[in-house]
Amino acid sequence: MTSTPLRWRIIVSSLLAVAAVYFLIPVYWLVLAATKDTTGLFGSNGFWLADPHPIRYLRMVLSYDNGIYLRWIANSLLYAGVGALAATLLSSAAGYALAKFRFPGRETVFNIVLAGVLIPATALALPLYLLFNKVGLTNSYAAVLIPSMVSPFGVYLCRIYATAAVPDGLLEAARIDGAGELAIFRRIVLRVMTPALVTVFLFQFVGIWNNFFLPLVMLSDQKLYPVTLGLTSWHGYTDRAPILYQLTVGGALLSVIPLMILMVVLQRHWRTGLTQGSLKD
Amino acid sequence: MSPGPINRRTLLTGAAAAAAGLALAGCSSDDSPSAAGTAGRKPGEKITLAFWSWVPGIDKAVDLWNSKNPDVQVKLEKVIAGSKGAYPKMFAALKAGNPPDLGQVEYQQIPAFLLEKGLVDLTQYGINDQAGKFVDWQWQQGSFGSGVYAVPQASGPMGMYYRTDRFKAWGVQPPTTWAEFETAARAIRKADPTSYICSFPPTSGGWFSAMAWQAGAKWFDVRGDDWVVTIDSPETRKVASYWEGLIRADLVKPEPDQQSGWFSEVQGGKIGCWVAAQWGDAILTGNAANTAGKWAVTQMPQWDKAKPSSSNWGGSSTAVLNGSKYPKEALEFAIWLNTDKASVDLLIQGGYGWPAAKDAFTGSALDKPSAFFGGAKYNEVFAKSDQLIDKSWKWIPTISDTYRHLGDAITAAIANKTSFGDAIATVQRQTVADLQAKGLKVATG
Amino acid sequence: MRRHRNLAVLALLGPFCLLFAGCFLAPIGYAIYQSLLKVERSGPLGLGGDKSVFAGFANYSAALRDSEFTGSVLRVLLFGVVQVPLMIVLSVVLALLLESASARWVPFFRSAFFLPHGVPGVIASILWGFLYVPGISPIVRLLDGAGLQVDFLSSGTVLWSIANIVTWQFAGYNMLIVISQLKAVPIELYEAARIDGTNAWQLARYLKLPMARPAIVLTTVFSIIGTLQLFSEPLVLRPLTVAINDTYTPNLNAYTQAFVNNSYNLAAAEAVLLALVACLLSFGFLRLVGRQGDE
Repeated sequence: MTSTPLRWRIIVSSLLAVAAVYFLIPVYWLVLAATKDTTGLFGSNGFWLADPHPIRYLRMVLSYDNGIYLRWIANSLLYAGVGALAATLLSSAAGYALAKFRFPGRETVFNIVLAGVLIPATALALPLYLLFNKVGLTNSYAAVLIPSMVSPFGVYLCRIYATAAVPDGLLEAARIDGAGELAIFRRIVLRVMTPALVTVFLFQFVGIWNNFFLPLVMLSDQKLYPVTLGLTSWHGYTDRAPILYQLTVGGALLSVIPLMILMVVLQRHWRTGLTQGSLKD
Repeated sequence: MSPGPINRRTLLTGAAAAAAGLALAGCSSDDSPSAAGTAGRKPGEKITLAFWSWVPGIDKAVDLWNSKNPDVQVKLEKVIAGSKGAYPKMFAALKAGNPPDLGQVEYQQIPAFLLEKGLVDLTQYGINDQAGKFVDWQWQQGSFGSGVYAVPQASGPMGMYYRTDRFKAWGVQPPTTWAEFETAARAIRKADPTSYICSFPPTSGGWFSAMAWQAGAKWFDVRGDDWVVTIDSPETRKVASYWEGLIRADLVKPEPDQQSGWFSEVQGGKIGCWVAAQWGDAILTGNAANTAGKWAVTQMPQWDKAKPSSSNWGGSSTAVLNGSKYPKEALEFAIWLNTDKASVDLLIQGGYGWPAAKDAFTGSALDKPSAFFGGAKYNEVFAKSDQLIDKSWKWIPTISDTYRHLGDAITAAIANKTSFGDAIATVQRQTVADLQAKGLKVATG
Repeated sequence: MRRHRNLAVLALLGPFCLLFAGCFLAPIGYAIYQSLLKVERSGPLGLGGDKSVFAGFANYSAALRDSEFTGSVLRVLLFGVVQVPLMIVLSVVLALLLESASARWVPFFRSAFFLPHGVPGVIASILWGFLYVPGISPIVRLLDGAGLQVDFLSSGTVLWSIANIVTWQFAGYNMLIVISQLKAVPIELYEAARIDGTNAWQLARYLKLPMARPAIVLTTVFSIIGTLQLFSEPLVLRPLTVAINDTYTPNLNAYTQAFVNNSYNLAAAEAVLLALVACLLSFGFLRLVGRQGDE
C-alpha cells in the first residue's frame, strides 16, 4: 500500500473525529448523568462530574419498586430473544421454500410478503390490538411475542440468500441419499444459511428490543413491560416523584450498555448476511 | 363495540386460532381477561383489587387498608397521570375486558368514561347512603341522571403561590387583582430582565379553563338530550385577551409548566409566582425543596374585588371500572379511602388536593403551619377559595379534544401573533364538531 | 415424490404464512372493516345506548378533512424530504471516509458511529430531551456562553431537533450497510483503478459510489418507512415543549384518536391511509431508482 499524503490523512481524521464527537457526546453525558442525583442533574454542568455516586444510584435503580427494573430487562430479553429466534427460524424456512421449490402461487406469496416489508408496523399495531382484544390476547406476553415472530424482511433476505448460496446439487445429492425434505432443511440448509440467519436474528432482535409502539398499545400490566416502556413510564411520572429523573437516567444507561457492547462486538455479522444476499442484485 | 357480522367473526376466529396455536406454552399472561361477570366475592374468600392511580402518597393509605383488611387486599399500580398515560391504559384495558377494579379518574374525564361505558353505576351497591359524607358539589361531579359513577376524592381550589423573597427583592407587592398583576409583571421585568412574574402554560387546557371559570364563564351545559357549548363567551374572551396582552408585552413567559425547564426556573427564582390549585403545594415542595421557607400563598387575583370569585383546577375521583369482579368491595374501599380520617390524613400528607370528604379541613394535616410556606397555615387560603367557586360547572365527554384544540390554537396564536379571541372561536367550533363526531347532539344557538 | 415436495413446502412455508396472515393481513382487513363503521349514540352521555353502523367512507373523508391529520402527514413528509437525504448523505460520506486509504483508527470510529443504534428510540429521546431543555442542557449553556441563543424546542426548531435524534440513531447503522456493500467490491477493481492513477476522490465518486447504490436504495426505503412511523420521539419530547401536540405525527394522531378519544373507527381509517401512503412512497421510490438503473 502506498501511503497517502499527510494532508489528506489530517483532513479525513479530523472529519471522522468531529463525527465521533457528535455520536459520542450524548453517551458521555449519559454516563456522567447516571452518577448524579436529581438535584445534580438540574443544577450541575452536564458535561462534568458533580458529587458522583455511580454505584449507589445504580443500585437504587435496581431496587426501586421491588426491583421492577430487572423484571423489565428480563422481559425485554424474553421478547427480543424468543421473538427473534422464532422469526429467524420461520423466515429461513419460508425463504428457503420460496427460493428452492416451484409451486403455484410462489411469486404471489413472495410479492405479498414483500409488500409487508413496506407497511409501517405501527399502522398495523392498532388494528392488531383490536383483533387481539377480540380473542383475549391483549395484555399478555403473547401479545408482544406473536407479532414479533413475523419478519417479512427476514423472509426476503433469506430467499435471496438461499437462491444464491444453497447449491441445487447439494440438495439433489441429499435427496438421492434418501434424506427427507425437513431433514435436508435442518441439517444442510440451515448450516449453509448461517450468515444470513445471524443477520436476520440481529436485525429482528434489535427491532424488537427498540420497539415501543406495540408494547405500549398491547400491554397495561407493568409487570409485562419491556424496559423501553418501563423507563418511559418512570419518565412520565417524574413530576410526581422527582427521584425518578435520576432513576430514568440511570436505568437508561444500564439498559443501553449491554446492547451497545453487543452492537460493537457483532458489527461484523450485520454485514455478512446483507452483502452476500440482498444487496447483490 | 357491538358484535359484528358473521364474516368478520369467521375471519377473526381463524386468525385467533392461528395466533393461539402458535403462542408458546407458558407465555400467556396468568390472569385471563375476565368477562364482565360480577359473581362477587364468596364469604371468606380472599380477593385482591387492582387500583391504578398516580396520586403521590396514596400507597401509604393503601398499605393502611391492606393491614386492616387481610381478605380484601388492594394492589396499587402507579400510572402516569391523566391523558398522557393512565386514561389510554384504562380505556385499552376496558376494551380488552380486563380493567383494574378501581381507577383514578379526574372529574373532567368522568363523562368520557361514561361514554365508553367504563364506569359502574354505584347506586346498585348503595352508594347513595354515603352521599352525606361528601361535599355536595364534588359529589355532583360523579352524578348523572339517577346514577352515581364515582366516589369523589379531592378537588383543586385555586390560589396564588409566590416567592416572598423574590417579590421583596424586586420591590413589588403581591397582586390582589388582575390589573395589579399586570402592573407587578411590568415592574418585575423592569427590576430584573431575566425574571418573569409567572409563566403562561399555552397547552394546559385545565389551567386555562380554571381561568375562564373564575371569570364567570360556563363552557358546557345540557339541555334535554343536547349539549350546549359556550366556550366562546365574553367571559372567556376577556381572560384570553388579558393573557394575550401580557404575552405580547413580554410580561409572562409562555412555556409548559411542571416540566424540567420550568422546575429549574422555579428553583432559580426566575419565576415569581404560580397561580395554581391546592395540589400544587406537593409539586412545589417535591420539586423545589431548596426553596423551602420562601413561599407564601394568597387568593388568586380578582377581576372585581367587590365580587370575589375563585375556581377549580383538576380534582379527581376513585371510580369502579366496568368489568371489576368485585364492585361491592371496590366501592367499600373507595369510600374508606376518601372518608376514613386516617386515610384522608395520609392522602393530605401526600398532597392529593382538597378533600371531598366533609369537614376534613379543621384539625387535619391541612390545618397546620407549614415550614415550606414560611410557617403559615396556608391552607386557610384554599378553604376560603373553595367557598368562592361556582359549583355548577359541567364537563363534556370530549374534553381531551377541547384541551388539545385550546393548546394548539393558543400556541399558534402566540407563534403567529394572531388574536386569542379568534383562537377561542376556533376551539368553540371544533368542540361542537367533536361532540357531533361522537354521535352526540349539540344544541345550536 | 411430488407430494412429498408439496408437503415440505407446506411445512416450511405454512407457519410463517399463518402468522403473517394473523399479524399482517388480518389487521389490515380488520382496519379496513372498522374504518367503514361509525358509532351512533343517544342521550348526552350515550347512556341511552349505542350501536355501530355502516358509514361508507365517512371516516376517510373526516380524516382527510381534518387539518390536524393532513397537517401531521405533511409534517412527516417535510421531515422525510429533509432528514432522509441528509442522513443518507452523512452515512455514505462516513462510509467512504472510513473506507478511504487515508483513514486511521477505523475500527474505533466505525464502532463510535454505530454505537447509538443500540439506544432505543424512546431512550434516545429521553436523553436528547435533557440536552435540549434550556436550564439543564449543557449544550444550550455552551452555546449561550458563545453568545448564541438557541431554543431547540420552539415550534420552528423542534421538528429538526427530532430529525437530529433520528439521524444520531440511524446514520451509523446505514453507514455500516454501505460499508458492507463496499467491502463486497472485488479488491482487484480497486487495485486496477489505483494503477490507472485514479485519485482518492475519483475512486470514491466513480467507483465506490455506484457500487454502493443497492445499499443506498435499501437504506433509503427503510428510512422513508421509518419517517412515516415517527412516534416515540415526539411522544417523549411532547411534555417539554408547546410545539408538539397529541396529533403531531400521523401515528401519534391515530394513537390519540384510538386510545385517548376512543374514536377507533377514525383511527382505523387513519392507519389505513398511513399504510397506503407508506406503500405508495416506497414503491414510488423503488420504481424511480429502478428506472434510472435501467438507463
